[in-house]
Amino acid sequence: MTGFLRSLDFVTSFTFWLDNSALSVWVISNGYLWPALESIHFLGLSLLIGTVGLFDLRLLGFARNIEPKTLHRLVPLGVLGYGINAITGALFFVGDTGQYVYNDAFHFKILFMLLAGINVAVFYLTTYRQVGGVSAGGHTPLLAKIIGGISLVLWLGVITCGRLLTFYRP
Amino acid sequence: MDVLIWFEQSAYGTWLRESPSMWAFPLPLILHAIGMGFLVGTNAALNFRILGFAASIPLRSMERVFPVMWFGLVVNVLSGIALLMAYPIKAFTNPVFYIKLILIALALSVLAKLRNYVRGTSSDDLVPNRVKLLASTSLVLWVSATTAGRLLAYTYNRLTSQDVFFF
Repeated sequence: MTGFLRSLDFVTSFTFWLDNSALSVWVISNGYLWPALESIHFLGLSLLIGTVGLFDLRLLGFARNIEPKTLHRLVPLGVLGYGINAITGALFFVGDTGQYVYNDAFHFKILFMLLAGINVAVFYLTTYRQVGGVSAGGHTPLLAKIIGGISLVLWLGVITCGRLLTFYRP
Repeated sequence: MDVLIWFEQSAYGTWLRESPSMWAFPLPLILHAIGMGFLVGTNAALNFRILGFAASIPLRSMERVFPVMWFGLVVNVLSGIALLMAYPIKAFTNPVFYIKLILIALALSVLAKLRNYVRGTSSDDLVPNRVKLLASTSLVLWVSATTAGRLLAYTYNRLTSQDVFFF
């Protein structure tokens, strides 16, 4: 994938243009801004795992005494974490574009995020209403368990790829 | 310092640091991020619930969330030990590392108090201000500990025993 991207002229010129933009220079050469953004990115990650990951665990049958419907009220915090990470992540990308465009770990990270997005859409389009009717102590439908398991695996995969970025740096 | 050098030069420490394998240094690094997600994230969920967010969740039932925190804590103690084995001198010569440990110790002691409260409450209790203050303190402590942890990569004085001091 990285080799293919390098062979595309518009990718190389786009990467070069973004890496030399004023915003990019500002992000990368602004003292402790980068580490601060990283810390915020870690906190966003935690918000996502601590709420959406927790809900996934409930779908799988953990903490069954909590109604899925009420536990789902925590999800907006996870969405907040996702938003925080989309913004900080975009700033990393602008700040050091080449490091991400030509990085296999980044490609997998984006792939897992897309799959997680599809998985979320499938959840709300299929079993969401049924899950909403599950009472405290009740079991979720099999489809909800599968979706919850996939969600957990994908988000942990996203974190794994994120941590691997430095080892696949071009 | 001798003990630190012994850990650094141990077979496991050397392998962690020098092996190109993804099972060497990258694995504990990944696990440390995942453990943090579960530990800090569920703490945030509990604290926001105490402060009034998602109030329809019975507070008493949040007791069942604690195993997720313990899981995250155990993962992070173990992966943290592996990271220390790889670069003991990097951590123990950096004041920020001690600050991180103190912040975690304080956060865990606040967590113990919150656990006692959650266990003893009936679900429809109004949360006393004292407990809300504890929850706010907990949020500040976890945010600070996470930030201190991230800054370790930027604030160290020495990486290994082979390094001369640089500032």
